[in-house]
Amino acid sequence: MKHILIIDDSPTIRISVEHALKSLGHAMVCAENGRDALGKIDALIAQGHDIALCVLDVNMPEMDGISFLKEFRSRDKFTPVLILTTESEDDKIKEGRSHGASGWIIKPFKPDELLSVAKRFLK
Amino acid sequence: MIKKTDSQFNKPLYILYPGEFYATKEDCVISTVLGSCMAVCLFDVAKRIGGMGIFIVPGTIGTSGIISDAIASKGIGDIELLLGEIVKIGGDRRYLKAKIFGAGYPADSSSQMEQVMNSNIKFIYEYFTLENMTVERSDLGGEFRRRLYFFPWTGKVYRNILQNNEESSEFIKLEQEYIDSEFRQKEKFGRVILFD
Repeated sequence: MKHILIIDDSPTIRISVEHALKSLGHAMVCAENGRDALGKIDALIAQGHDIALCVLDVNMPEMDGISFLKEFRSRDKFTPVLILTTESEDDKIKEGRSHGASGWIIKPFKPDELLSVAKRFLK
Repeated sequence: MIKKTDSQFNKPLYILYPGEFYATKEDCVISTVLGSCMAVCLFDVAKRIGGMGIFIVPGTIGTSGIISDAIASKGIGDIELLLGEIVKIGGDRRYLKAKIFGAGYPADSSSQMEQVMNSNIKFIYEYFTLENMTVERSDLGGEFRRRLYFFPWTGKVYRNILQNNEESSEFIKLEQEYIDSEFRQKEKFGRVILFD
């Protein structure tokens, strides 16, 4: 089964993203930082599941979003990773793009907009 | 924000204006004046990290709660800005505590603003419940303005009720401008950039 991975240290954001994307019908897995997410990915793959999309925050303790992205892209070049963050500086956005992010959404996000972007990447 | 050296506390003093936020590891004081805006003070005493953000949720939130409400997502985004800065300087939201103030409706407010303030108060409690973050002190509502002095190293906050609006006329004017601007832009959300 294909899963959507939501990686954010805020429980409120994780629940909001789950709520915004629930109509896609994918199973959703949440992680509270990059390190937690890598562990969840290993567990999902070991169980025979795939990741369809990652929704990723940038500023998180233990392993931030950019560090996660570098590690994730060394294993998986193709799964879309959508950054969802308060970071809006061009340099940070360029850094995300250079490490293989698929898109960048600046918080606050509109749930409908997040859903339509997710649909586009899941096609 | 402006920085001063304060003789009363003998520490650097940062004065925040409506819509601003500031996070720091410095032993300092962060001050503001609140009418209808809310101030969220977050701190980790063990790490001596803290910050304050001042914002308003520009409208009333629907009965379904803050998760599915577009207006509420503006308020969540404002607190996220502060939390993001705190995480950048080494904080971790799992160890932060909060003190929250404001959402007053001074005597010159409209009845519509009173509804908005009540919705803001509901929002902030729901938010911190979802975040599972301890709120050590809440001082919200009431028909008055407040002046705050927040010490990010200790989490202490001194709060004064303002009797004389003339002393704070600059804050009152700027707060009204900020609130008007937030209401005008309540359908405005963050940019979406797709990398092809």
